[in-house]
Amino acid sequence: MSAPTGQSNGKSPLLRADTLCMNFGGIMAVKDFSFHIDAGETVGLIGPNGAGKTTCFNMLTGFYSPSNGRVLFKGEDITNRKPHAIARLGLVRSFQKTNVMKRLTVFENVLTGHYMAGRQSLLSTFFPGEKVRRAEREARESAAEIVETMGLSHRMNAPASLLSCGELRLLEVAVALAAKPSLLMLDEPAAGLNSHEATTFGAVLKTLVGRSIDALLIVEHNMELVMSVSDRIVVLNFGRKLAEGKPTDILENREVAEAYLGKAAA
Amino acid sequence: MTLERNVLLAFLAAAALLPALVTDQYLLHLGVMALFYAILATSLNLVVGYVGEFSLGHTAFLGAGAYTAALLSTQLGLPMWATIPLAGLISALFGFGIGAITLRLQGPYFVIVTLSFAEVLRIVANNWIAVTNGPMGLAGIDQFGITNKGTFFYIVLGLTAVALYLAFRFVHSNTGRAAVAVRENRYVAQSIGVDPFGTAMQAFVLGAFLAGLAGGFYAHYISFVGPEVFRFPFMVTMIIMVLLGGKGTLIGPIAGAVIVTLLEEYLREMQELRLTLFGLIVMAVVLFLPNGLMGFIAQRREQQGAKPAPRAATKERTV
Repeated sequence: MSAPTGQSNGKSPLLRADTLCMNFGGIMAVKDFSFHIDAGETVGLIGPNGAGKTTCFNMLTGFYSPSNGRVLFKGEDITNRKPHAIARLGLVRSFQKTNVMKRLTVFENVLTGHYMAGRQSLLSTFFPGEKVRRAEREARESAAEIVETMGLSHRMNAPASLLSCGELRLLEVAVALAAKPSLLMLDEPAAGLNSHEATTFGAVLKTLVGRSIDALLIVEHNMELVMSVSDRIVVLNFGRKLAEGKPTDILENREVAEAYLGKAAA
Repeated sequence: MTLERNVLLAFLAAAALLPALVTDQYLLHLGVMALFYAILATSLNLVVGYVGEFSLGHTAFLGAGAYTAALLSTQLGLPMWATIPLAGLISALFGFGIGAITLRLQGPYFVIVTLSFAEVLRIVANNWIAVTNGPMGLAGIDQFGITNKGTFFYIVLGLTAVALYLAFRFVHSNTGRAAVAVRENRYVAQSIGVDPFGTAMQAFVLGAFLAGLAGGFYAHYISFVGPEVFRFPFMVTMIIMVLLGGKGTLIGPIAGAVIVTLLEEYLREMQELRLTLFGLIVMAVVLFLPNGLMGFIAQRREQQGAKPAPRAATKERTV
């Protein structure tokens, strides 16, 4: 493989995947996929439908066990770990279909997202001491703050089932942020948004890296959005890495255009 | 949350006044049974409402508690203040063992396997004559000379207070929220660091503990324990209470327990027809009040409180 295109100034990357393969009963959904994310980076993962983007997400976050290859997060081997164990290390993801807790309010959703900060023993559940009470207070304050940063204050006490599509997408990110991730991975966060909503959403995403999170990996079909937020783009096609580079380079890449639009168009 | 706490406290306070106002032993007996069922319904609700799976084997824990208290009392002569907590603890151990197997299952598999565990325990109780005295059951469990139902009423009220305190703390804790997250959306729960199995186990064991307490009390109150405690009628009663009151709330099962206990007594004259009527009630609840009475009340309050919200946005758009 060629040298990494990102600026990996000698330090080990935040996340590194080595030759990941995923085999579904003889069908290679992903083959020999290697890539990395450094702290401070926003990486976009793109590719036509069925290219294996979500499969990659699932392998990186423990929802699938890769058939081959390994994943390192903060230098630790997390291949085959359980999803919740990986989340506890600071790798938090969202899901492609809008995934929030529909019957809970916006505030309750985000409060629930603070689970890891307030993990407690069974005994302290029944007899909460000062430490648990403080954690609870802090979680509530932080939840209100996150709801506000995501611009959902006016919907604070609305059940998630009443939110619009755009608001749901913001809530999803808010829940993930509440888990205080180091690396946030968003799977098609702008799906179903109109272009105005997508622009607003992109602006919110750009403020996150370096402030709330260390790095962002985003799978997205909205090219305008993904090109504007990403420092680096990785292109998948038929389960293999097709190209990798700066957004401007990718836009000019002949192979990528072919994969998306077909040969004649390119 | 505060409203819920106040309602529960008001309920306990009102119940505490009952023996002062009512001296009729029959009515007090109904009060005792209502509170006994309130504990059971609260414990089943922890499984149905907070694990999110439907257990048909909750009588396993009621029975384990009842037999524990009966054996400790008749064999070792332990007093009631020791047998009832120990009944809860032994039952919690059963919960841990059964949960370790069943909580890996979901949906109908969970239902069937929990049911089988209760049935296996019933068969053991029925046949292990050396210990359980078989179908004859364990009779003559010490009541320590308590003849006034009012005293039993205060004992079961104390247990109800303990049960509600523990359930309230659990439900409104970080762990309780995690349990709700697993119930609502298993994947999101995992992605925010919740271990679905471990969280479900805590709710399940707490439910078993409370059912065991209730079982221990039952053994002393009735002064007899037989294999029937594992049988289905107890299970049916608990389910009706939780469904009617509203699963996933704390007030619901209590309301359900009081209503069903009184209804059951009132309909006693109808004998066999009674169960048919209960069947109809369950169907009606499932069809018209899928979230029980508490769900219905919450819905009414929401409709009156909020201005007509744009309903069009509720449907999930598939892209």
